Amino acid sequence: MNYNVPAYIVYLILTVFMIVFVGKYFYRNGRVFILGLMKGEEATTDHLNNILLVAYYLFNIGYAFVKLHFWQRIDKLETLVSSIAHHMSVLIFILASTHYMNMVLIWWLSRSKKSSLTIKSFQS
Amino acid sequence: MNHSYTVIAYFIYLPIALLLTWYVAQTLFRNGLVFMRDIFFGREEIAKATNSLFKIGFYLLNIGFALYILQIYDTLNGVQGIIEVLSSKIGGFSIYLGIMLFFNLFLFFRGKKVAKQKHNEQLAVQNLATPDK
Repeated sequence: MNYNVPAYIVYLILTVFMIVFVGKYFYRNGRVFILGLMKGEEATTDHLNNILLVAYYLFNIGYAFVKLHFWQRIDKLETLVSSIAHHMSVLIFILASTHYMNMVLIWWLSRSKKSSLTIKSFQS
Repeated sequence: MNHSYTVIAYFIYLPIALLLTWYVAQTLFRNGLVFMRDIFFGREEIAKATNSLFKIGFYLLNIGFALYILQIYDTLNGVQGIIEVLSSKIGGFSIYLGIMLFFNLFLFFRGKKVAKQKHNEQLAVQNLATPDK
């Protein structure tokens, strides 16, 4: 007997929960920065934020499902734990690197556009 | 019987690694808000948002790493094997966490220094523009 189906179920529950939680977190905290880049237009900011959230869900949950296709055969309980951990860690690394790249992008955009985020324009 | 020892080792390792990450992140970013307030001169919501974003980045990076190094390759014989394998894993992970902690602190101090410099330059320019003030 193999444990592949329980592994898929546990993996999907954990991953989708994590992606939705992290997405909501970014959605709440990123709004200030989009507002700064959009020069204070509230309506545009909210629309853009919603679209970004949905695109994020589509990409990440889609990728989480695609990874099921490449799963190895699991016939021991220890392989179940370690394979779930491995596949989740790859997904979390992708999320973390994308997140840091986005933060660098925000910093770079706000610097080049001289928006309200930078210290320079705030003071003058 | 070998499999059950490995599974036990996994279930001891996971809570310890996750709790360690949570504790370090909590300590670092409770104090990080003070630095962020200094960097973003009194703009409370941007300071808070940046702090939370750094915090979730820290969590993602470290929990990802904790899960990545989880797999135990050699077969464990007895409690001694569990203790030996886990001590090297958890020790290595906490050294890694310490390095990440110092890296984040370095970023905070550097941001504070740059922000202070810019603020001083701005003040100097304003004083030049209005000397009687």
